[in-house]
Amino acid sequence: MATLEVKNLTKQFTSEGLPAVQDVSFSLSQGEILALVGPSGCGKTTTLRLIAGLEQPEAGLVILGGRIVTDSYLFVPPEKRSVGMVFQDHALFPHLNVFENVAFGLAGRPREVVRREAASMLKLVGLEDMAGRYPHELSGGERQRVALARAMAPRPIVILLDEPFSNLDADLRAQIREEVRAILKGIGATAIFVTHDQEEALFIGDRLAVFNQGRLEQIGTPESIFHTPATRFVAEFMGHTDFLPGEVTREGILTEIGLLAQETGLPAGEKVELAFRADDVTIRPKAEAGSLVLARHFKGAVNIYRLRLPSGHLVHALQPHTHIYPPGTRVEVIADPGHDLACFYQGKAVPPAESSARLN
Amino acid sequence: MADLAGFRNAALGRRFRARPRLNRPVTLAATFVAAFVAIPLVYIFYRAVTGGQEVWLRLVQTRLLGLLANTLMLAAAVTLGTLVVGVSMAWLTERTDLPGRRAWRWLLSLPLAIPPYIGAVVHVALLRPRGGYIPQFLGWLAGRPVDTPSPFGFWGAAFMLTLFMYPYVYLLSAAAFRSMHASFEEAARISGRSTWSALWQVTLPILKPALGAGALLVALDILAEYGTVALLRYETFSAAIFLQLSGRYDRSAAAVLSGILLVLAILVLWGEIKFQGQARFDQLGSGWRPARLLRLNQWKTPALLAVFAVVSMSLLVPVTVLSVWTAQALLEPHSLATTFRSGSQGLWNYTWNSLWSAGLAALLAVLLSLPVAYLAARFPRRLTQALSRLSQVGYALPGVVVALSLILIVNRFLPFLYATPLVVVLAYVLRHMPQAVRSSQASLAQVSPSMEEAAQTLGRTSFKAFIHVTLPLILPGLFAGAALVFLTSLKELPATLLLRPAGFDTLAVRVWIWAEEGIFTQAAPAALLLILAAAGPLYFLLRRERF
Amino acid sequence: MNFRSALLAVLALLLAACSPSTTVQFTPTPAVEETTGLSGPLVIYSARSEPLIQPVLDAFQAQYPEVEIRIKSGNNSELANALLEERNNPQADVFITTELLTVQSLNQEGVFQSYRSPAAAALPEGFTGPNDSWTGLTRRARVIMYNTDLVPEGEAPTSIFDLTDPKWRGQIAAAGSANGSMQAQIAAMRQLVGEGVTEAWLRDLLANEVTFFGGHTDVRKAVGAGEFKIGLVNHYYYHLQKEEGSPVGIVYPDQGEGQIGLITNATAIAIVQGAKNPAAAQALVDFLLTPEGQEIFARLNFEYPLVEGVALQPDVAPLDEFRLADVDVAAAALDLDETFDLMERVNLP
Repeated sequence: MATLEVKNLTKQFTSEGLPAVQDVSFSLSQGEILALVGPSGCGKTTTLRLIAGLEQPEAGLVILGGRIVTDSYLFVPPEKRSVGMVFQDHALFPHLNVFENVAFGLAGRPREVVRREAASMLKLVGLEDMAGRYPHELSGGERQRVALARAMAPRPIVILLDEPFSNLDADLRAQIREEVRAILKGIGATAIFVTHDQEEALFIGDRLAVFNQGRLEQIGTPESIFHTPATRFVAEFMGHTDFLPGEVTREGILTEIGLLAQETGLPAGEKVELAFRADDVTIRPKAEAGSLVLARHFKGAVNIYRLRLPSGHLVHALQPHTHIYPPGTRVEVIADPGHDLACFYQGKAVPPAESSARLN
Repeated sequence: MADLAGFRNAALGRRFRARPRLNRPVTLAATFVAAFVAIPLVYIFYRAVTGGQEVWLRLVQTRLLGLLANTLMLAAAVTLGTLVVGVSMAWLTERTDLPGRRAWRWLLSLPLAIPPYIGAVVHVALLRPRGGYIPQFLGWLAGRPVDTPSPFGFWGAAFMLTLFMYPYVYLLSAAAFRSMHASFEEAARISGRSTWSALWQVTLPILKPALGAGALLVALDILAEYGTVALLRYETFSAAIFLQLSGRYDRSAAAVLSGILLVLAILVLWGEIKFQGQARFDQLGSGWRPARLLRLNQWKTPALLAVFAVVSMSLLVPVTVLSVWTAQALLEPHSLATTFRSGSQGLWNYTWNSLWSAGLAALLAVLLSLPVAYLAARFPRRLTQALSRLSQVGYALPGVVVALSLILIVNRFLPFLYATPLVVVLAYVLRHMPQAVRSSQASLAQVSPSMEEAAQTLGRTSFKAFIHVTLPLILPGLFAGAALVFLTSLKELPATLLLRPAGFDTLAVRVWIWAEEGIFTQAAPAALLLILAAAGPLYFLLRRERF
Repeated sequence: MNFRSALLAVLALLLAACSPSTTVQFTPTPAVEETTGLSGPLVIYSARSEPLIQPVLDAFQAQYPEVEIRIKSGNNSELANALLEERNNPQADVFITTELLTVQSLNQEGVFQSYRSPAAAALPEGFTGPNDSWTGLTRRARVIMYNTDLVPEGEAPTSIFDLTDPKWRGQIAAAGSANGSMQAQIAAMRQLVGEGVTEAWLRDLLANEVTFFGGHTDVRKAVGAGEFKIGLVNHYYYHLQKEEGSPVGIVYPDQGEGQIGLITNATAIAIVQGAKNPAAAQALVDFLLTPEGQEIFARLNFEYPLVEGVALQPDVAPLDEFRLADVDVAAAALDLDETFDLMERVNLP
């Protein structure tokens, strides 16, 4: 049985306009970490708050540990849900010290249990020496860990993390997220993690759920999301993708930079879009060619070239670091993926990729 | 390759804020509080409108225009005066290398503890033509009576009210000067402005909202002022209402005048709230550093003299004169035995009355402000903002108007409350609630809502979350609001005069009655006690200002 | 209105339930107990300047130490307003006033209860109210005081109508429209010389830049200090100022043939209908009429005691030396409203 199940969740803040969350469904099994990712305002944080009980949905069902906590008749308040939450601003209580913060959720249990549990949580996050400090005496990373320990201490059914690293410096962020993932995995916690950073999502999530405008676009493993995006939005959002128009022919798909032998099942003459990544494209200098090198980004082992096609479309091409063409060089651009490319017909992937199941 | 930096910036810059559902009990409580504050206002308007054509006609023909002119002229003059004195003093103590700036800051703020009418009593005793100490001394020197300018009338009132109200503007502008980024002035200097024109073209315009709000608060106080203008024989609306109330056996003329005064005050308050909304000079971020102090050089002595003049007239002279009077009273065995009494009550009764009524008012005002402030800070939307503003109309309710409405309402609808000290406390709460609402709202706004949500996910109900997490965090802010209400309630005169039951005199009332009778030695100890009692909370408030 | 009356009814019930003491109404006044053993709060609404009433209250307190005296000081009309407002919810036990018009007109509104002090027999005719609703205490005269340094003897005005003489422009101080004695003077003048002449007189005073203060203490101090040359006051303010060593003189105005005579007035005390401590109130009335009480008024305040046989302060000229204006207090009280209208019409501060 799923630890958390969300069904057809809908939340509308204003009477007019789009819902903030629209008909979202997914489920989470024990010990799994799900990353909710999407641009700002896409509904991922609202989804988290709906699960926590900090918002009340217009429709839908939330089942937590086999117990219905939200449906059309029932709304269990957050304090009775047994969820842990790490807030974006950490929300550590400034008037309590580290130990008291961590022990806050353990109130009502025997004093001895409180002391033991809080101490073990502090040990888990490596802050056993800081128990007497106050939040303003801690560094950003330490605060982050206190917030995590506080959320985990009451052993909630699910831990919700709302962009927990966004207040940290970039270098600290990479280190902390590894630690956090290790800690969560170490205690076998079930967790949902909200971020707008796709790299972070790819790193931390066992599965990813990509949101756009209140809808769940795709849910799946990091690999399936990256390789077989279900929609043009997912492909674009997950990054480093250029789209070129193509036309379905009997031989495959014809694009400006070549014919791709790829089955679509669509009748010939239909217009589609193909998603190219830099490694799908190669270039060759040629004086009379119509394409132009606009810029070269030196990435150490490789060079990435930004190119303008005769049609005006931009694509990127990945080349070994030894191949150096200055901007302005005329080049021939050739599609050379060696595998099927994600292909979109009216915004949706065709044919439905085998490895990714589109929900709802 | 899609540009993701744009996405990320958008995500960080524009936090999507959900619109949470209003908490029903809190909304009910806040609505009740706003209604409680609004009832006197509405009732006075009702009485004014139904005052009868004849009353209106009589007033328009006799008093109205003169009163209007008098009141507006005084408000304008004092507002201007406090701006000039307040801002220049703040500039000297915050932006220049004036010697002893720390001490001057305190001395310039302390006159807040002196009710203007007490200051005026002292200055009148010093200055009244021929009879005052100064004319008499000059006459003794010259060997004949010397004519000196009269402290009475418009100029006297403007002078003395400026003297005892400039600290409002001083404190606001000093805080603004302190928290303003040095880079603004530096940028202006780099663009070729002199220090002087940088002050006029950059600094002051940036501070304008803060100063505007402070000045309009002063204007509201002038509209409400009774003691000083009555003492200085300058008739404004408040004084005229007081006169009407103690004149003929008819409340409608007083109600009509009150209605008009309220319209004036609400207009001023509206302006003040608009300014208040704009007054968001930047916080002390990590990039903040104090502006370089301007060297006064040869201007040092004139600047010191100016600051000293303001401090001595508004603080040193009143306190010294009151102390001398007190000493005289204490040294004379006869007055020591008989003095300080009215009926069976003595000085300690008045002190106790002052302290407990102001204390209870402070407590009630803060408690009542909480639901309003909570809604406005946590659920910002039109309804909650409206409730918050409505509960700030007290600023626009002069003491005499509060008193009149309470006399009318309480005796008619709540006779068991009539002639109890609670009515006096009620008047304080009505009149000074805005200060509590503002400090509560400001301190709540500084506590992130996620703090309460965190407590909720950790097993606390929203009420418990508020008690265990939010309340401890906003407590200093609530104390500040309470201190402010306490301070202003302690100094309140007209409403107390009109509403006090027999035998419930406060220090302010006793000072006023004795001073009106010209028994200064008797008034002085009460005045000193009052100033001392007010200095306590003032000290606390100034400490919070990072003095 | 239905809601309001329902609310009132509920409140009245509540009130009746929790405070039986407020139901003292229209019961015959209980006989005064032995003079010892009085206690409880005695609420006094006093229109008199506090320093002029406190000494005699101190003497009363010395005799009845158990009584807790609670004063609310104000001017006549302010307190009269309060008494009217409180008719259904009485707060005060006694009212002490500075002139007779207010008690007279309040009596017509049924604000007071009857009490005839045994000592009232010693009062002259006309100084107790109808049905003994109020009791006179002391008498005073409206006089002109002047600063002898600034006004040579013999040049001071001898009639209140001389105060409109332009040679005194800006040099006269008087009490304003909120002052009971001034109100009473205007009411008396309306009777003596008629509405028109009184109105003209007031307008001329204003045109002559007379300064109007809230009370007479201010007036006497200003004249004493020489801030003003002339003041229109009650006679004892002259004596109080003289006692402070100021160079002041006094004129008892309008003594000539055909002039209106000296306007006098009296202070009075009345027991409020529904008083919660009527025994102490009666004791106070009695005390103020004893030779001891009357003597304090005469000695400390320079007033004319009403009870026969109490000595005047030596400096105070006995009233029988003067021609007094003849004023019918009861009639003047009846058109007190017209007096207020007049003051407002001429815009008396």
